[in-house]
Amino acid sequence: MTLQELAQPRQDYSYAFMDAYAKRELRRRILKAIAIPGYQVPYASRELPIARGWGTGGLQVSLSLVGPESVVKVIDQGADDSVNAANLRRFIVRMSGAQTTTDTTKATILQSRHRIPEEIMGEGQALVLQVPDPEPLRGVTADMSKAAQLHADMDYGQMWLLLYEQLVRYRQYIQGASYPSLVNRRYVISPSPIPRWDTPKLHQAAHLTLLSAGREKRLYAVPPYTDVQPLEFSDVPFQIENQQGWVCQTTGIENKFMNELPQADGTSQYELSDSGYAEKLASTGTTDATYYDDQGHFYHAGYLKPPVLPTL
Amino acid sequence: MLDISNRPSSPHFDAPQLVTTPPLLRATGLHKRYGRIEAVVDVNVEAYAGEVVGIVGESGSGKSTVLRLLNLEDTPDSGTYTLDLPGMADQDLYALDRFARRTIQIMNIGVVYQNPHLGLRMRFTSSGNVAERLLIAGERSFATLRQAARESLATSEFPLDRMDDPPRVLSGGMQQRVQLAKALALKPALLLLDEPTTGLDVSVQALVLDTLKQLQRERHMTIVLVSHDLGVIRTLADRVMVMRHGRVVEQGLTDQILEDPQNAYTQQLVHAKL
Amino acid sequence: MYVATRGGEEAIQHAEQLYKAMIGKLTRENIQVIQQQLPYLLDKVMGEGSLYAPELAALALAQTGGDVYEAVLLLRAYRSTQPRIAYAAPISPDNVLTVRRISASFKDIPGGQILGPTLDYSHRLLRLDVLDGLSEDDTAAVEADTPASPTYPAVADWLRSQNLLSPVEMQQIDPVAIPDVTTDAVLFPAPRAHRLQALARADTGGVLALGYASMRGYGLIHPTVNELRLGHAEVEMTHPLTGVPFSAGRVRVSQGEVITSGEKNGYQLGFAATLGWNEIKLIAASTLDLEMNNREPHPAHSEEFVMYHTESVEASGFCIHFKLPHYVTFASSMDSVRKVISTFYSSEAPATPSSDLETIRQVQP
Repeated sequence: MTLQELAQPRQDYSYAFMDAYAKRELRRRILKAIAIPGYQVPYASRELPIARGWGTGGLQVSLSLVGPESVVKVIDQGADDSVNAANLRRFIVRMSGAQTTTDTTKATILQSRHRIPEEIMGEGQALVLQVPDPEPLRGVTADMSKAAQLHADMDYGQMWLLLYEQLVRYRQYIQGASYPSLVNRRYVISPSPIPRWDTPKLHQAAHLTLLSAGREKRLYAVPPYTDVQPLEFSDVPFQIENQQGWVCQTTGIENKFMNELPQADGTSQYELSDSGYAEKLASTGTTDATYYDDQGHFYHAGYLKPPVLPTL
Repeated sequence: MLDISNRPSSPHFDAPQLVTTPPLLRATGLHKRYGRIEAVVDVNVEAYAGEVVGIVGESGSGKSTVLRLLNLEDTPDSGTYTLDLPGMADQDLYALDRFARRTIQIMNIGVVYQNPHLGLRMRFTSSGNVAERLLIAGERSFATLRQAARESLATSEFPLDRMDDPPRVLSGGMQQRVQLAKALALKPALLLLDEPTTGLDVSVQALVLDTLKQLQRERHMTIVLVSHDLGVIRTLADRVMVMRHGRVVEQGLTDQILEDPQNAYTQQLVHAKL
Repeated sequence: MYVATRGGEEAIQHAEQLYKAMIGKLTRENIQVIQQQLPYLLDKVMGEGSLYAPELAALALAQTGGDVYEAVLLLRAYRSTQPRIAYAAPISPDNVLTVRRISASFKDIPGGQILGPTLDYSHRLLRLDVLDGLSEDDTAAVEADTPASPTYPAVADWLRSQNLLSPVEMQQIDPVAIPDVTTDAVLFPAPRAHRLQALARADTGGVLALGYASMRGYGLIHPTVNELRLGHAEVEMTHPLTGVPFSAGRVRVSQGEVITSGEKNGYQLGFAATLGWNEIKLIAASTLDLEMNNREPHPAHSEEFVMYHTESVEASGFCIHFKLPHYVTFASSMDSVRKVISTFYSSEAPATPSSDLETIRQVQP
């Protein structure tokens, strides 16, 4: 008997690229993350044929979930066609044989970098967000071990202090994207670098959201129908980006998240960030239900409040 | 949301009467060893509501360790600690888990360290330093935080027009006032002071001591005060414990101990200092 | 346009085509030359790639046009998709065919100072005659009368017999039970196995930078290279049916140790080992092994800092990820900046924020 005979015929790649042991471990970690909403589960992150920082965390989750029957949508900054999204989508399909779509409502797995699409996702759909830095307490301490202790003690005092200082100094919260949010009234998470516009979509969602950081080796989850609250003082409400009056140059619509396009004459034009949504609108003239309606009202009434300029 | 405006204040004393209530603070049989050093050996501490207990000793006497144990920063090798407060009257605090201990510390104990860098975040606003206590306790209204910070800083006689300056740019005396304000933010039943005026200019010391005296009188705060400075002890403390090499060598009324020390070491201390 | 137009996939393909045109055709012959003539580069790539496969390492280097970080990533990724068949027996230095063994602690040591193949004492002059086509074949090595020993006693053992170094307890452990940094979640403080494995596959440049900082004086360590060894080790496996041990092949391995005084009970020893031969990494990494036992505040004293930031694939990947579009996060940040400006610098509200406060950062960039 030889080694040759004992080993299986040489395959260039396992199904969905990762070996079976790795896939099993990822699935178990995902289950643990779902069982403890917002808790960062450490995992042994595998290297993939994509550089670290380019979505290996999200990719490992997608590869652990994907099967031949899956329907996969991949976006970056909201666009299906961005080079990075196209690259990731090609890889997933090549390794799994799954189908692809640009229609948010048809995807069973939706991997995204930095955006949640405009159309409401439903039960049975998994949103996989790519996370560069899973640690919302990075501004409080650079040390992951210390941060883990703070999370365990639910000691978010210093985090709140940072927000207090922002109000004293700037009269408003200055956090752009990656707005720290409280999940299930227990763990504070970084929702990944999605704009503030998208953060409310995590709250009481019908779909499952998985967030994974490959380089930092942590994954966490927001299970369906879970409370998610951006950190805010009770008398100074959290604010989404102000894009009032921004009209998409291609579709003519408003009140969906726009990209700002600098023009040569110093002005700006705008276009829809969610390219799949724009495509649907253009081809069929209509879309499925959206988180923000045509007037810009969020579908959970009362969740977003008008701005308050705090007095000092 | 936490509402701290209705917190019970300490019981009020008129002319001296026989004390029939149990002591607010009772720590018994405290032992603490660090490696080969026995920092604290069989120390008992008692403080009645509204009283100031001083702990005096030289460096290495164990007095700061005792304060750390009373602040629930550390647990002793053996010994018990109870605070006679609603909901925890007979509970040995050292037997609780760290999360429960932390909660009790935040809500009921304030501490001022000799070194402001230990007690303050030097690069945040002074008001933020005070507000942090309320934030940890769960306060989420910005207006309430601002108001509470103002009140606390005013009580510590800190100028409100500087409330948003970071401690980093303040004088030593002002930094101690911020520490004090922070310690008082949640109107705790117990205040622990570790050499609060040591290192300050003499005139500034006097001012800070005045504030402490005023505070103690108005609010009948229970205070445990650690100092090597007998002048400070004399000014503030009702009773005093003398510590040496981790043990209590003598204790009694301040006047008694300072005028008529019985123990040889105490005598040495008193004569050398006064 | 770079992004968000139809044909993102097409753009990638064209970019790859330009790249291939630039580096030229890949052939088996080119790759064989790389494998033959660049063993130290191969060893660096295999060591950091955590995969001993010289032919694949050479291919990776050829395929990436010599970009070492990319080549390492290729090997690591390939490793992720291969099934694990078995754990080999742990390698003992006594069983390594040692071709180079030196110690800086003593002039001479039992077994001798064996230089082996090295350029340590050569003049660092470019051999321009090669470019002119004028060089002769000077590759013949003269065989010695007495062969060098394949193994050598450890200098550290001599120190131990003198009670200058504390004895080591050999743990009996099933190879399968040894913590594996590639399949375990890494938490701190890390088990020694994780630390040593992390150093074994760390980015050589990163380890050098931190090690150098220690040696220069930021750390407490004034290291002496107690021993440095380069050799070939058998990969010994056990036949799953007959239980007979056999060799699956040989790999180049190297190990190094540094010692420093500082405690009352004698010397402290720092250790590092890696696949392939990489002397710079060994000396710097074994120094860091010692440094990481010290207290803060220097970064080289923090195990977490060292292990996080000397990870080649993660560091290089994250660095270049900043090339990716970030326009949504930027849009969100512009919204914040605009709002602050309008609060403080509009004509109605000319107040300026206090400059005593440090720049308040966002909680996350």
